[in-house]
This record gives sequence, structure tokens and C-alpha cells, in this order.
Amino acid sequence: MANKQNMTHEQQQYQQLQQKHEKKRPVLKNCIKAFFIGGLICTVGQAISYFYIYFFNFTEQSVGNPTVATMVFLSMLLTGFGVYDRLGQFAGAGSAVPVTGFGNAVISAAIEHRTEGFVLGVGGNMFKLAGSVLLFGVFAAFVVALIKTLLVIWGVL
Amino acid sequence: MLKGQQSWVFANRPMIVSTGVTGGPFEANGNLANDFDLLYEDLWLEQDSYEKAQRVLLEDAIDITLKKANMQKEQIDFLFTGDLINQITPSSFAARTAQIPYFGLFGACSTSMEGLALASFVVNYHGAKNVLTGASSHNAATEKQFRYPTEYGGQKPPTAQWTVTGAGVALVRENQAGQRLPVITSATIGKVVDMGLTDPFNMGGAMAPAAADTIKAHFRDLALDPSYYDLIVTGDLGRVGHDTASELLKKSGITMQHGQFQDCGLLIYKDDQPVQAGASGAGCSATVLYGHLLNQMKQGHYKRILLVATGALLSPLSFQQKESIPCIAHAVAIEMND
Amino acid sequence: MNWIRFIIALIILAGLTSCTDKQQAKDSRLALMKTTDPKPIVTDGKAGSDQAEKIKHKVSSFPEIYDVAVVKGKKGTLVAYKVKHLQRFNMKKIEQKMTKKLEDEFPKENFTVSSDYKIFLEVVRLNEKMHSGSISDRQADKRFNEIVEMTEDMK
Repeated sequence: MANKQNMTHEQQQYQQLQQKHEKKRPVLKNCIKAFFIGGLICTVGQAISYFYIYFFNFTEQSVGNPTVATMVFLSMLLTGFGVYDRLGQFAGAGSAVPVTGFGNAVISAAIEHRTEGFVLGVGGNMFKLAGSVLLFGVFAAFVVALIKTLLVIWGVL
Repeated sequence: MLKGQQSWVFANRPMIVSTGVTGGPFEANGNLANDFDLLYEDLWLEQDSYEKAQRVLLEDAIDITLKKANMQKEQIDFLFTGDLINQITPSSFAARTAQIPYFGLFGACSTSMEGLALASFVVNYHGAKNVLTGASSHNAATEKQFRYPTEYGGQKPPTAQWTVTGAGVALVRENQAGQRLPVITSATIGKVVDMGLTDPFNMGGAMAPAAADTIKAHFRDLALDPSYYDLIVTGDLGRVGHDTASELLKKSGITMQHGQFQDCGLLIYKDDQPVQAGASGAGCSATVLYGHLLNQMKQGHYKRILLVATGALLSPLSFQQKESIPCIAHAVAIEMND
Repeated sequence: MNWIRFIIALIILAGLTSCTDKQQAKDSRLALMKTTDPKPIVTDGKAGSDQAEKIKHKVSSFPEIYDVAVVKGKKGTLVAYKVKHLQRFNMKKIEQKMTKKLEDEFPKENFTVSSDYKIFLEVVRLNEKMHSGSISDRQADKRFNEIVEMTEDMK
């Protein structure tokens, strides 16, 4: 049905009419907001990684891990206190693309299904949004690594 | 009595004796807070799950309705309710508590008027003396069914709608002359209309043709024109759907005066509440009609209203499988008995 | 939304004040934000500061780089530098180029080259400790070896 060709004339006509009344997403405004909030989140992340460089034995290379863990922890707190979804409504991609968005996806699903218990609820549903990020992320990394390995073997790189 | 193709006229004019309307914290900050009988400060309602909270909303609405009418549960013949949760458990569980013979209904957000039409039909033909009907929805429980987790920070588009936390219940009884109460005079049962829309974040746009179809059928079957009603109110079309329905009706020659065509989803919240296009949910039309609109009628602001509750009959599965969204609308006409 | 904005503003403010606090504090505090240009240090006790100075001069001549710290220890020489922000994409290339050039110029030295901020910071800290005299040459050399080890961990 979703296919445009399969639609009857009446349906197409209605959709045209409906589109007139449909409010469009304010794309430019959303982009600007996403830019600034996303930038703000990354600034916080940068500050945290400097913190780890200054006070702990992390180099620029290895500081990524504790920084990501801290950012996910912060987004967990914000999600739990019900702030992150409002931030998400305001900032859109700005709060979804940084790793905090991933944390939010995991934690929100975990909170949502807490009432069904720890095993079937939290455990089973925790990755219902983030699972596909993990799966396709790992798969994409595998493909890229495979290509690079082949290129190195063939002497291109 | 059947009139036209899909309408009932209730010659015995069953009346709405009393109503009970409950709501959550978000509704307490809304436009119609004064029309709720009971407002909870906490979304959990002191329960350990949102589904239980929704059941409590409905149970409390039933209790309030009975208390106002000075009736006991044993005196009620049937209960017609429904909601949007899997297998309508909040309604069924509330019916378990109430111990009233029960019909579980599913008409998505049109359940409130489906229930009222059926209850009126049963009472009109002496199938029962007292019937309770209502609908409920809970923001967190319903969004859990249909959308991302509540706390997920995804951005909702401006066409999205906010599910009402609330339950509205009405007690329908055989007409007893001399009582100044709202009566149900007719109802039009809608057909399922599908215009091929697939965006679950634009329910209003999907439901608008169903509402327009039912309104047209109502005027055709009963040979009336819009000026007969003081107010024609759609259930939960929101801004997008309401404007669209308005234009659809105008195109088919049904013109309404300014302010005569309203929408429950636009009435219930204030403009500054973050609800995007408006409210939705089974509880939306139920709380607004049984609370605000009937109060207004009793105060004499309106004499005759037509309430057209719209429902999107999709499931989370069906839209993931790329099916379009079929929609339905049921209309019920309510008049003040003089 | 208002209080969220308030909290965000508060966090930024707190961040700013903690940075401007104790302005004339040691260089190492701000080593990651401004050019510190530390003097080359020599931890192997022998007079080799001329050599270190030369190395520093050589490295500084790279246009992509804006801050250089050199430590000459017993086992080798550590060169830490900061890459100009827009050149950071070419960091690997710069490192290769620099290693090659240094090894050509000073074939006797054993170089460790790093653009990591952490390494730079540690070198500045070591520099300060040596200048204030709170650390003996032996301790300094030990610390130098630790820093070199740290760079090896990254590879």
C-alpha cells in the first residue's frame, strides 16, 4: 500500500490535500539547534577527556574509553531524571548522534521495561533500539577492516 | 432505529446520568483542568507500572460516576470500555474489579463513541437499564505500545500528538421525563477509511478522511445540515487533521461557521504545552466530552453537539511491516433534554 | 525548559571559573590550551643541552607545529609537539616526516616522537619539577623512561 503506484487516484488526491496542512519540520532551525547542542555535548566530552589526561594516566589515544563511559553515565543520569528526552526534542540529532544518544537509547528502553522484571524486561529489551546500532556498527567495522586488510595484502596501501 | 445506511436514531433518548473523569499531571496543567473530577499529581498513580496506573484511572472514573449517580455497582447492567493497550487489559482488569458484565471494545481512539453508541443502543431497546461506558489511555503506557520508549530522546515532528493520561466514564440510563440531562439522540457508525498514509507520527492526517466520511454520512442519513448542531467536535485529529477535515468537508459542501467545528485534541491542552499537533488517545475524546463538553451543555452554552471520535486502527507491527494506517470514526449526537 | 538552560549556563560558568582560577599558576595547568614553549631538558646528567637545543630548533622549523618540548635522557631523546589544529588530519604524515628528518640530522640519537597532548603535558611537568629542584636527576631519568614507555603503549 505504501507504494505510490499502487494508490488509487482518490488516495493520491487526498495526500496532496493533506500535505498542505501538514506542518513541515523546520529543517534549518533544527540543524542550527542540533549544531549548537551537539557542539555543547562534545565540549563537555572534550573537557572530560582533558580531565582524564590531567589527573590520570591516560594518553590522548587511550582517553576515549573512560570519556565515553563517563558520557554514557551522564546521559544515563539525565535520562533517569527525565531531562534527556526534552533535550532530544529540542536538539534532535544534536543529542542523538553523540554517544550520549546511544546511552539514552539503551537506558530509556531499560527504564521502560523495568516493570516486566530484570530478565525478560530489562535484559530482553535494553537493546531493542540500540541493538541495531551495535549490530550494524560491528558489521560495518568488519567490512571496513576486511577491505583494508585486502588492500594491504594487495599492496595498494 | 436504523436510518439511512449507517445511523441509528434513538427514539427513547437514553440519557447520560452522570460522568466521571480522571486525569494525570499533564492534564492538570492543561486548559480543562477544572472539568476533571480527579487529577493525579503523579503519573504512576502510586502503582508499580503504568498499565496498572491506567487501570486505576478507569476504576476511579467508574467509582466517581457511580457515586455521583448514587448507584451501586450491582445496579449496573453492562460495562462497555476499551483502550489501546495489548488485548485491552486495563479495561478488562477494571471490569474484574467492578464485577459488572462487560463488553471489551477496541476502536483505538474512537472507542469512547463506539461505546457510547452501543450503550445507547442497548438502553434504547430496553436491553439494559443502566450501562456504563468509557475509555481510558495513559501517556506512558500507550506510548510504550506504539512508539519509542518514553524517555528516548528522539525528536518528534510537529505533526506528532501527545497521548492523554485520563479516563472518562458515563452512565447511560433509560430516559425519565422531567430531568434536565444530556440525552443521546442518534449515532453514526463509521466505515474504515484508508487513504494510504503510513506515517505513525501523523495520525491526524491519516484520520481526517474517516472523520469527514462519518460526518457526511451522518448528515446524509439523518437529512440534517451542520446548522442543526451548536458544536461539531472531532476526537483527536490535532491541528493537522482538523484543518484537513475542515477542508474535506468544505469541498463536499458542508460548511460550518467559525468556531462551530472543534477538536478535543486541541481543546484539552494549553498552547504552551509541548504537545506538537495536539492531544490523542482513547482518553482524549472521553475526558473532553464527559468532562468539559457536558459541563458546558449543562451550563447552557450548547444545546446540541455532535461528537465524532476518530481512531487509527494500526498496530506497531502493521506499521513496521509498511502497511498503511486504516482509520475509523464514530459520531454520536447529544442534546440537552428540556 | 528554563531551568535546563539555567543549569547548562551554570555548568559552563563553573567550567570557566575553574579555568581562570589561579591565573599565574604553573604552566602545566594550561599546557594543553596555550603555547608553553618549554626549555629543552637533559636528564642524563652529562652536558648535552646544546644538542637538545638544536633538536628543538630543528623541530620548531616545521610549519605544521606550534609548540615543542624536548627531553634528552640516557636512553634516547623524546620529542613532544603540538600540531596546529587544521593540520591534525595529517598527524601521521608529519610524524613520519619528522622522525626521518631527525634521524638524518642526528644519526647518533635514538628518537621517540609523539604528538600526544598527554606526553607533552608530562614533559612540561617534568620540566617544572626539574627547574624547581624538587626531583633528583635519577628520579627525573626514571620518569623520562616512564613517559617513553607511555608512548610505546599507544602503538
